[in-house]
Amino acid sequence: MKARDLMRRDLTSVEPDTLVHEAVYIMEQSGLSTLPVVDEEGKLVGIITEHDLIQAALPEYFEMLHSVTFLPNLNQIQKRLKEMAFKPVSEYMKEVFSVHLDDEDLHIADLLIRKRLKQIPVVDGEGHLVGVIRRIDILSRLIR
Amino acid sequence: MILTVTLNPTLDKFYWVEKLPLSLERVEEEILIRAYKSWGSAGGKGINVSVFLACMGVETVAMGFLAGHTGQIILRDLLEKGVTANFVWIEGENRTNVTIIEKGKEYHPVKIHEEGPRIPTHAQELFLKKYRRMLKRAEYVVLAGAIPPGIPETAYRELALEAKEAGVKAVVHAGRRALWEAVKTGPFFVKPDVREELVVGDMPVRTEEEIISAGKKAIEYGCSACLISHHVTGDILITPEGIWEYEIGVPPTAFKNLVGADDALVGGIIYKLLQGEEIPEAVRYGMAAGAASLEVEAKMCLSPAAIEQEMKSIKMEFKEPL
Repeated sequence: MKARDLMRRDLTSVEPDTLVHEAVYIMEQSGLSTLPVVDEEGKLVGIITEHDLIQAALPEYFEMLHSVTFLPNLNQIQKRLKEMAFKPVSEYMKEVFSVHLDDEDLHIADLLIRKRLKQIPVVDGEGHLVGVIRRIDILSRLIR
Repeated sequence: MILTVTLNPTLDKFYWVEKLPLSLERVEEEILIRAYKSWGSAGGKGINVSVFLACMGVETVAMGFLAGHTGQIILRDLLEKGVTANFVWIEGENRTNVTIIEKGKEYHPVKIHEEGPRIPTHAQELFLKKYRRMLKRAEYVVLAGAIPPGIPETAYRELALEAKEAGVKAVVHAGRRALWEAVKTGPFFVKPDVREELVVGDMPVRTEEEIISAGKKAIEYGCSACLISHHVTGDILITPEGIWEYEIGVPPTAFKNLVGADDALVGGIIYKLLQGEEIPEAVRYGMAAGAASLEVEAKMCLSPAAIEQEMKSIKMEFKEPL
C-alpha cells in the first residue's frame, strides 16, 4: 500500500512565523499534538510538536536530571512558556522527515518506528504538504 | 484541484418520521416524535460540492472554519470521503442543521438551521492566508453557502476578487447580498440560492422574464454563466451566447430528499467542465446529478451510472440568443 492510500488528507498546519501561542491554540482546538510547518507556497519546511514546546519550556538542567522531581512547582515552566508565547514557531520547530505520495507502507512504517515519530507528513513531487500518516493509520490498516 | 469554501460548515442531521404532528391538539402534553431512521453527514454547500467531486475521483480541497466536537465529526466525515481538508480551527461549536422528512411528504421537509459560531478576526486573517496559498494550486474555486456571524456579507466579493487575480475561475453558489456583491466582480459561474427569497440582488426572480433579466445583469457584470431555478424542477441558464431552459423529468411526488440536490448540480457542472464540456452541456449533466439526488434518501446521488441514466430525463432547450 502506498502513502496516498494511507494518509489523512488533513492539511491543518502552521507557518514559520506563526506565534507559539497560536500554534498551541490550533493544537488545542484541533486535538492534534503535532503540526506540520509550511511556507507561503504550502511546501513542508518543518514540524512542531507539543513535546518540542514542553522540552523548550523546561529548565536547562532538566536535560541532566531527566526528572521533574526536583522542580518545586510548574511556575518556572509557566514563566518560560509565557516568554515563548510570542516567539515564532520557527525557533522551536524541528527538521522534518517526510514521505512521498508513492512511497510504500513498509518504508513509512520503518521511518515511524526508527525515528520514533507519532506521525509523518506526506508531500507531493514539489514538496507541498498533501496529508499526514499517523502510526494508528498503519496499525488500524494492518489489524483489519 | 478544485477548492471549495464553506465559511459556515454544518453537521447535517436527517430524521425520517412516520407523522409530523405540527398542530398542538393536546396543549398540556409535550410532543414526542420518534424517528424510524436518522443519519448525519458533513454539510454546507461547498463541502457538499467537495464530497460530490471527491466521489467522482476529482482532487478537491475543502476550506472554512471548524469548531468543537461537531467540527471533529465534520472533519472525520470529509477525510473518510476522500476530501482534503484545510480548515481554520476556532473556539465554539459548528452548527447542526436538522431536516425532518415525513413519510409521504418527502417533497416538503421541515428544516431547522442553526446560526453557527462567530468567526473571530484573527481566524479570518488566518483563513485568508491559507486561501491565497491554496488558490495557487486551484483550477476552480467554489464559494458557497451561508455567511457565519462575524464575517461581513461582502466576504464572497473579496474572495472572488482574490480568485480573479490568481487566475482561478470562481463559482458562486450563495444567496442574498453575499451572492450579489460577488456577482459584481464578474465570477465565472453564478448559481443563486433562491430557497429563502425569490430575489437575485434586488431583482425578483418569480417569472421567466424576471429570471432572464437578472441573469442578463450578471452577464453584464462579466459572468460567463448564470443558472437560476425557475421552479422546483426547472432551471434557466443565461450565458453571453444565449438562454437555455432545462427541465428534469422527476415529479415532486418522487422526491426522497431535497437537501444537497443543488450542490450535486454544481458539482456535476464542474465535473463536466473539467472534462472539457461546454457550459450548456455541463449544466445538463449537473441537472441530471441534481435530479438523481432528489430521488435518493442520501443527501446526494454519488453513482455515476445513476446520473448517466438520469441524463435521459433532462430536457434541454435553446431558447434564444442573448
